[in-house]
Amino acid sequence: MEKILRGETLAEVDGALSDVIVDFDMERICKDAFSLDNQVVYFPVRHHSPACAYHLQEVIWEYQPDCILIEGPDGANELISVMTDEETEAPFAVYYSYKDSEGIISKEAEEYRCYYPFLDYSPELVAVRAGVKNNIHTAFIDLPYAEILAASEENRGLRKNEEKNNYNDDYYLSTSVFMKRLVEKSGFRSYDELWEKYFEIDGMFLDSREFIGNMLYYCVLSRLTSRESELLAEGCLAREAYMRQNIAQAKEKFQKILVVTGGFHTYGLLYGQKEHSLHNIKKENQGVYLMSYSMEATDGLNGYVSGMPFPAFYQAVWEGLQNSCENASQVYRDTVLKFLVSTGKSVRKKNGSPSTYDEICAFNMSENLAKLRGKRCIGAYELWDSVLSSYVKGEYTKATDLPMRTLRKVLTGDTIGKLCKNAKVPPLVYDFEENCRKYRLKVGKTVKTELVLNIFASERHRQLSEFLHQVDYMDTGFAVLVRGPRLALRKDRNLIREIWSYKWSTQVISALISASVYGGTLPEAAVSKLRAELKKNISSAKASECLIHMFEMGLCNLLGDAFTRLERIVLEDGDFFSLVKTFSNLIMVDELSGLYRSELDVTGLIRTVYRKLVIELPHMAQMKDKDVPETMEALKTLFTIMEKDAYREDRQMFVDALYALIEKKHINPSLLGCGMGILYGIGCMDADLIGRKCAGFLAGTGEKQLEAAGVFRGLFFAARDLLLVGDDYIRIIDEFIGRVDNEQFMKMLPQFRIAFSYFTPTEIEKIGSAIADMHGIQKQEFNALAYVTPEQYSYGTQLDEYVMGLIKYYG
Amino acid sequence: MGTREADMIKPPVEVAYGEELEALRMNDTAKKPMNWKMSPQAVKTFILGSDKPVVYNGKTYDIKKKYLGNDTLVERCIVTLAGNRGLMLVGEPGTAKTMLSELLSAAISGSSTNTVQGTAGTTEDMMKYSWNYALLLEKGPVPEALVPAPLYIGMREGIITRFEEITRMPAEMQDSLISILSDKVLTIPELHEDGVVFAKQGFNVIGTANTRDKGVNEMSSALKRRFNFETVFPVREAALEKQIIINEVEKLAAENGIEMSSDEKVAELLASTYHELREGVSSMGHQIDKPGSVMSTAEAVSVYYQSMMSAYYYGDGTISMDCLVQNLVGAVVKENRDDLEKIRGYFNTVVKDKSGKEGGLWKRYYEARRWLK
Repeated sequence: MEKILRGETLAEVDGALSDVIVDFDMERICKDAFSLDNQVVYFPVRHHSPACAYHLQEVIWEYQPDCILIEGPDGANELISVMTDEETEAPFAVYYSYKDSEGIISKEAEEYRCYYPFLDYSPELVAVRAGVKNNIHTAFIDLPYAEILAASEENRGLRKNEEKNNYNDDYYLSTSVFMKRLVEKSGFRSYDELWEKYFEIDGMFLDSREFIGNMLYYCVLSRLTSRESELLAEGCLAREAYMRQNIAQAKEKFQKILVVTGGFHTYGLLYGQKEHSLHNIKKENQGVYLMSYSMEATDGLNGYVSGMPFPAFYQAVWEGLQNSCENASQVYRDTVLKFLVSTGKSVRKKNGSPSTYDEICAFNMSENLAKLRGKRCIGAYELWDSVLSSYVKGEYTKATDLPMRTLRKVLTGDTIGKLCKNAKVPPLVYDFEENCRKYRLKVGKTVKTELVLNIFASERHRQLSEFLHQVDYMDTGFAVLVRGPRLALRKDRNLIREIWSYKWSTQVISALISASVYGGTLPEAAVSKLRAELKKNISSAKASECLIHMFEMGLCNLLGDAFTRLERIVLEDGDFFSLVKTFSNLIMVDELSGLYRSELDVTGLIRTVYRKLVIELPHMAQMKDKDVPETMEALKTLFTIMEKDAYREDRQMFVDALYALIEKKHINPSLLGCGMGILYGIGCMDADLIGRKCAGFLAGTGEKQLEAAGVFRGLFFAARDLLLVGDDYIRIIDEFIGRVDNEQFMKMLPQFRIAFSYFTPTEIEKIGSAIADMHGIQKQEFNALAYVTPEQYSYGTQLDEYVMGLIKYYG
Repeated sequence: MGTREADMIKPPVEVAYGEELEALRMNDTAKKPMNWKMSPQAVKTFILGSDKPVVYNGKTYDIKKKYLGNDTLVERCIVTLAGNRGLMLVGEPGTAKTMLSELLSAAISGSSTNTVQGTAGTTEDMMKYSWNYALLLEKGPVPEALVPAPLYIGMREGIITRFEEITRMPAEMQDSLISILSDKVLTIPELHEDGVVFAKQGFNVIGTANTRDKGVNEMSSALKRRFNFETVFPVREAALEKQIIINEVEKLAAENGIEMSSDEKVAELLASTYHELREGVSSMGHQIDKPGSVMSTAEAVSVYYQSMMSAYYYGDGTISMDCLVQNLVGAVVKENRDDLEKIRGYFNTVVKDKSGKEGGLWKRYYEARRWLK
């Protein structure tokens, strides 16, 4: 580490950054930060690092502080007793939420949340546990979550528009200009590999002072190469000011204070000057809860920017170090071997082929790679490379990457944390548990149970169904609809029962805790979630799907301003296909409102969409073949709706639009057929005229003739009775087929097949009889046509050959 | 009589980098696997380069990076070769598999020419040994009548035997490697008690296989088990591809006495074209139809070098875009005429937009589209 941080490599990196680094006196910084004679000792950490955690343990033992201050929003102080309860097991996360009803953060008055995950080897958790165990005053000292939000600019820091915001800010270290250059220069594939070599592995061979010296050097350089304006925008400077204030207060009470923070902040805590004033945000809008967490969620490779990759690997290393800290090499060696064997075993179970000899080769390779790379012992990256070389047979593709997928899985781990019984839960969890009691659902045990609900016959079943839909909408993973009407997918709408399968688990509670930012009860949370969804830039089709979910959840009466927002989305949507879907969804909601006991009136909205569609219709003449079925379906729906009394006044508008459509010069043939069919159905187009148009296509030149089948497809889709009322159409098609050559016919056959698929079996029989009559054939003759099986044909051929042979033989 | 280095079209690695290898050997203090000419660390330095120059005999050698690609792959290859298994390099054509295997053999064994060229006609005697029939008739099956082939030589000398295009060899020929790789013994029944060659330390096999030939003669799983596989992927960064083109072209030019330096902008343009056509998306976001033929970096080097030669011998010393486009068409449109349409589409969208945006070379490149026929 000395060499890389203070040697030539750094000189090259440093050279490029010399203008940024001014007045850099590392010796002074080290002395100010980490001298055990000081009243305050600053311990810089990376948030999930076994080496940092190990040295922190050593320093606590050596320094014997009477106060430990830890980076983390101070709202979590009330959770320290739960975090250190014997029953509580990592991984868990502190969940912070804030409902900005006062509009302090932004005018939008949105909900915010973030997570602060802890693993057994997180230095902060090690500090909390050591503090409580040794009766040392232990506290989190960062700004409350809501204040951090207020101090951050839009889309920066914890206000980033991400699915999951995490409190940890190690990304400052990995993404600094300094670190990027260092990784490039030293030939590592990633920052994490560099970190493993110089801090996780080498760090275990250093005494704590040297280790902290290296940490400080690297963190200070990262800090000095970051822009102050960035730190201000992300709320980093405000947080450090608040932490400094808390440290100053502690100095009045305690003699030996150990401050455990991300190494990036140490410099700011030592020398920062800025003051920060609070916004005094109402406490009732802020929530802080502890929730169980998974290894998967803490894996840096799953998008958790602050996390280290391979949590299960480092957990095993941490456990090994707890038992045998003197021999870190052996701990890493044993861990790599353990993962090589478990990966081999898992791959073999899934029909993979690594043999014991492959495992031996892989282990040898990992050891030799470590030597070649100048590492003191094998790490996760050598493990990765050795599996890639020794377990993957053949070209590395999706077909052969099973060993790597398996390795990735075992390196991540599947451990899920557990909370003690005293853990406080938010009102949303109470509401859920209350409802479960009300409906006598089994919770507390992870047993899968099935429920059959007669949703239209029993009021209680309908209410239970609404509850389950609400729980499902909040993505808790508690209940799954196995069978029943799925309105949003437009599937199984004819079913009258719902079959649900539900299973309680700690994950469900965690999901509910993380959804608690939306509200205190499930209906309230669901409507808030819908509102948040509608605020995004979504299509009217997607918005109407949200409405269907509300409909299923029985929450339409709570929509309020969300319905106005939905109307606006519809008005602003100019996409024909999206509007078509919206139209169908709204019609469905309208049709089923009686059955689902909903009082939501969507007729006004339907009319709006209807008019928008009719206006758009003439412009849809030249569409791609793949969009044709959807458009024809839309035309048919429009036709059906227009027949209803409520929409009769718009009928002429529709007819005009249809005429405008079919009169377009370049129109998709199927659409032309469909348009004519609907006009015939309405009574605005004569059957003879349609017949003449069709005959024109059939008698046309090459390309036009090919289009004829498409016209029939559209025509029979919309008005198949045309073919059944007389023989005219059958005759012209029959004549045409008799006339056209084989090649042309084969080209048209697929469209003709689709065209005739719209008829029922009885109608097909009727058409068949009419054709048979035309050709003077009796139906029985068709029935008499025997089907020759391949075996019969083969037997016949053999028989022929045999007879021919005999004839030849006898002359 | 051997060819002088200056007369060779392409001198082998151990000749081209002879002095550099010697300098590295003399400065190598790390432990060497038995019979290796240098330590794994020095092999790595030779292939991946070093910032620190090596001094030998009063001369300073800058060790340049020779393989521009995945560094960790090279490390795995070195470690594999020091172990008990063979190394199999697989990948698309033109991904520098052969170059890597030559570099490894030259550094480890001091020879990259102990090679079997795999073809459909490769027989066992081309791999193991054959006989000098005049001597055989005169003296019978005696050791001096035996003509050693690369596998025999590799085992006897303790050096690496390279198998090029192993999947083009018939399956039964491939399988004759199985027992040799397992037991490290070659039996010559004709020589009776003298007929057992035990492989000397340092012997190993590097195979290369082209993934486009998959299915020609698929390797048996028994043989696969004797190898560690390394898949060499095409270069994914246009900037790196540009650097490879420049390095390779300059090397070729030096070897062939062409006194003309490479044009970085042309290399960048060509790297960008190959990169975009291979990935199916342009740097400006256009979705592009990928040609069916191989769009390897080696092909890009060849297109550049052809254009460079034309400029040197027949032109004014600067690469003309007309010539570049003609060579590009020749390289891409080989098996399928549809590829020409795809290149044309690329010019009519991506090159057109870039010529409007960047002008200069891209504009001239676009104007040369008339050669797309």
